[in-house]
Amino acid sequence: MTSSPATVQAAGTEGRTSLRQFTRVLGAVILLFVIWRVTTVGLSEGYPASFWISQALNGLVLGGVYALVALGYTLVYGILFMINFAHGEVMMIGGITGYFALQFAQARGWMEGPWAVVVVALLLIMFIGMAASVLIGVTLERLAYRPLRQAPRLVPLISAIGASLFLQYSVLLIFGVSPHSYRKPALISGGLRLGDVFIPYTGAIIFVTSILLMLALYFIIQRTKLGRAMRAVAEDRSTASLMGVDVNAVIVVTFMLGSALAGAAGVMLGFHNTVVKFNSGFLPGLKAFTAAVLGGIGNIPGAMFGALLLGLIEAIGPSALGIPTEYKDVIAFSLLVLILIFRPTGLFGEVLSEKKA
Amino acid sequence: MPVESATRAVRTGLVAFAFLAYLIFIGVPGKIGGSALPVLALISALFIWLALRRESAALSGTAVDPGPGAYQKKPGWEIGPRDTSDASPFVDHLPFSVVTGFVLKGVLAGCTTGLLIAVLSGVSATAMGNGVSIQPVFDKIVPVNVAALIGVSPGQIAQAEVPLLRFVLQVLFFAGAGLLAALVAAAARSSQSQAEQLARLTTRLSGPTTVNVARYAGVALPFLLLAYIAWLGLPGVSVFGSNEGTIRLLITLIATGSGLFALRLSLPGRERTVVGVLLGLGVLAMPFILDQFQNSVMGLVFIFVMMGLGLNIVVGYAGLLDLGYVAFFAIGAYTYAFLSAPFSSPYVSSLLLLLGVAPESPLLGYWMALPVAMLTAAAGGILLGIPVLRMRGDYLAIVTLGFGEIIRLFMLNLGELTNGPRGILEISQPALFGLSPSSVTFGLLSSQGWIFLLALVSSALVAFVAIRLNDSRLGRAWFAMQEDEDVAEATGVHLVRTKLLAFAIGATFAGMAGQLYAARQINIFPENFSLFVSIDALALIIVGGIGSPAGIVLGALALKGLPEVLRGVDEYRIVTFAALLVIMMIVRPAGILPSARRRIQINDPNEMGPDSKIVSDGEAEVVQTAGVAKNAANGQEEAM
Repeated sequence: MTSSPATVQAAGTEGRTSLRQFTRVLGAVILLFVIWRVTTVGLSEGYPASFWISQALNGLVLGGVYALVALGYTLVYGILFMINFAHGEVMMIGGITGYFALQFAQARGWMEGPWAVVVVALLLIMFIGMAASVLIGVTLERLAYRPLRQAPRLVPLISAIGASLFLQYSVLLIFGVSPHSYRKPALISGGLRLGDVFIPYTGAIIFVTSILLMLALYFIIQRTKLGRAMRAVAEDRSTASLMGVDVNAVIVVTFMLGSALAGAAGVMLGFHNTVVKFNSGFLPGLKAFTAAVLGGIGNIPGAMFGALLLGLIEAIGPSALGIPTEYKDVIAFSLLVLILIFRPTGLFGEVLSEKKA
Repeated sequence: MPVESATRAVRTGLVAFAFLAYLIFIGVPGKIGGSALPVLALISALFIWLALRRESAALSGTAVDPGPGAYQKKPGWEIGPRDTSDASPFVDHLPFSVVTGFVLKGVLAGCTTGLLIAVLSGVSATAMGNGVSIQPVFDKIVPVNVAALIGVSPGQIAQAEVPLLRFVLQVLFFAGAGLLAALVAAAARSSQSQAEQLARLTTRLSGPTTVNVARYAGVALPFLLLAYIAWLGLPGVSVFGSNEGTIRLLITLIATGSGLFALRLSLPGRERTVVGVLLGLGVLAMPFILDQFQNSVMGLVFIFVMMGLGLNIVVGYAGLLDLGYVAFFAIGAYTYAFLSAPFSSPYVSSLLLLLGVAPESPLLGYWMALPVAMLTAAAGGILLGIPVLRMRGDYLAIVTLGFGEIIRLFMLNLGELTNGPRGILEISQPALFGLSPSSVTFGLLSSQGWIFLLALVSSALVAFVAIRLNDSRLGRAWFAMQEDEDVAEATGVHLVRTKLLAFAIGATFAGMAGQLYAARQINIFPENFSLFVSIDALALIIVGGIGSPAGIVLGALALKGLPEVLRGVDEYRIVTFAALLVIMMIVRPAGILPSARRRIQINDPNEMGPDSKIVSDGEAEVVQTAGVAKNAANGQEEAM
């Protein structure tokens, strides 16, 4: 390469333009392929409308759970600009703890009692799961992330990967490899049948609960003093600290909120999938991260919307594209890659400029 | 004793208890059986000693050395009246009250730990005795682990026969451990008296001879160990009976690792050349003197050295955190498998039949397949690299992780092409000049020895290429890109080309490693290529030292070799690695044998991450107030 600045600049911009053109062509090809696949294969299979509706409802339920986890990613990213890679494991620990709480309640016979008792017990189980997750999340922040706040960006990420594996395999060592299966109480094990569409009670409860929790979070962030402090720290940490905001406390509270939501998601996912085990937080964690990116990481409504969208795509995608359901994880990952290529700021594009990505 | 130091002691005890409870829950006491209680007590003593040492360092005004790689705070922060009274490093006598304080604190911390441990084992015993309630947890921890901890049989616990005496004894045991720790800490503190300090100073002044002796010993050590290994391999020599093989493996690992330190210790120039050549010869002789098992472990270690060197180009040189590195390893392995296994997969076999080749005979030998595997892996690297060109840091990590998983899912589900979970069997062995390890003439080397030799030679080659690349124009471009992409581009680094070259070269090395791995395993399955291969490779370059080839060899020896020696604790491998990742990041982010460049980068406060400047400005206030609080605490400590 010659040293003349003009040629250097030309080389740089040339590289960028060709790259942009390349991504455009790639995008067009992928879009055409998806349209072709959906029109020729997916729609010609001749599934009834009720099939699509129940798949979509399934997707919404899953999306609600992803949203709770995605909010944890987004909250932490908004404040610390780091990916809390171990967040999926925080969720899993909520699920495991919830399992033991459920066992305890079932051994006491609370799950066969009158419906009020069952509801209170279920709420209690969720709170216990949330408490365990909060404990783990705060410990994580204290031990694995706080010492690294001034380190180069890769350092906390590697630490987070280590923490994630550590949590997974500790749970494996403590509770064993075999999955623990949630037994649903009789009260919520049925479902509602509307024509050909079947809605399980658990699905409806999970969806409603996650919406309620999200509303609660939104209220905390928008309406309380604490939420204002969080927004201030996310906006500009140093100025916030000059205004008298205790930055460390706000970070801890952020981890607490995110972990509490993840714990609730863990318990609900346990009821939804009926099993929890040591690595059952890994994939949902990755997918929730995908959802957070899809909505624009750091953007709270974006994470909720992205998660619901991801749930829908994951539930409908394999049938619409006419590929086996084993590839539904591939769809989620591909979606992540595609968003990051074509719209790294997410659908609602916020917070994250290309510089930070 | 002031309330504050009492709370601090209790906190130390709580931390120690938390760690011990974790060990109990993952079942460590069950593994060590009868000696569980003393071992746990010693661990708690270690914690207490560390806490007391820290306190003593704070007292005497000399900060604990954070180690060469730890992050150093910017100097300008320490404004307040910090450490003015006892800034002198010479503490010539130890006031009695400090020793008493240490002992009180140590015993208090030990009592806290012991009390909680006793309660934990008592509670679990009762839960076992009457309960169905939280059975599953305690099923796991009570019978083996806690029973071993309190020294009773599970049956006894079931009847809830835990006498009070045992409870008290446990508490006293841990209190004793705390006392021990306190005495050690106090002794260490008093040994830092003026006389000692002076003596140390004079040693340093008259140092050269001592240092030289130590240096010669360090340089000679690997050769002595190599000779010892050779002697152990002689027929009729046995050490510790049946464990001889493992002992030899351990010594082999230590010999290789100390060889790296010997190279560092030797003076640059002729001395280093001679030591290097001799060490190289010694290591090359290893495959001939080790047995099948030791060779197979060492072969795996050096396959991972190749992996580490390749990943190091991507992560260490170019600064692109790639968590899907296993994909290229898999591509290399599967390419070789397709080319050399008799019946590789339905699709490949029918393709071969179409071409008129009998699928029973291998298509290409190891050497002919090598360029193919390397090229395929490189193509894979470029294909992965193109879509992620615009991503940085965290995003890149997640996306590459996704790619690695996608490749594994495809291997598992594309049964037509890859034979699915049944894998590809009977991959042919590498041969040289028509000689294969199975042939009689090759009697000098076992088949695994042959693989080890190949791995050694290939990793030496890869290391050479990697070092030369790092010093080349491309290496500087990578480094510039790692520092700041925009600035690098402005100064004329062609980002697209530079990034893709990093991905392609890293992938090529992984492909080579994968091919050798396939030859070593003979049969390969998709589960050989899980995420943990990437994690292992990442962990070994981080523990060894990012950017430093010698560190990578050391990391591979420690992380892939040592678990084979410590067979019994294999299940704790991943947990230990994971904890190591976190701890290394906090304590020594540059690794055990850091590269010079990395060391500078991490220690220089101006070379922090993009938003660290804001952070440090914001936290300067906090740190200052913390410093003042610490001073107040120190003052109290002295008044005590």
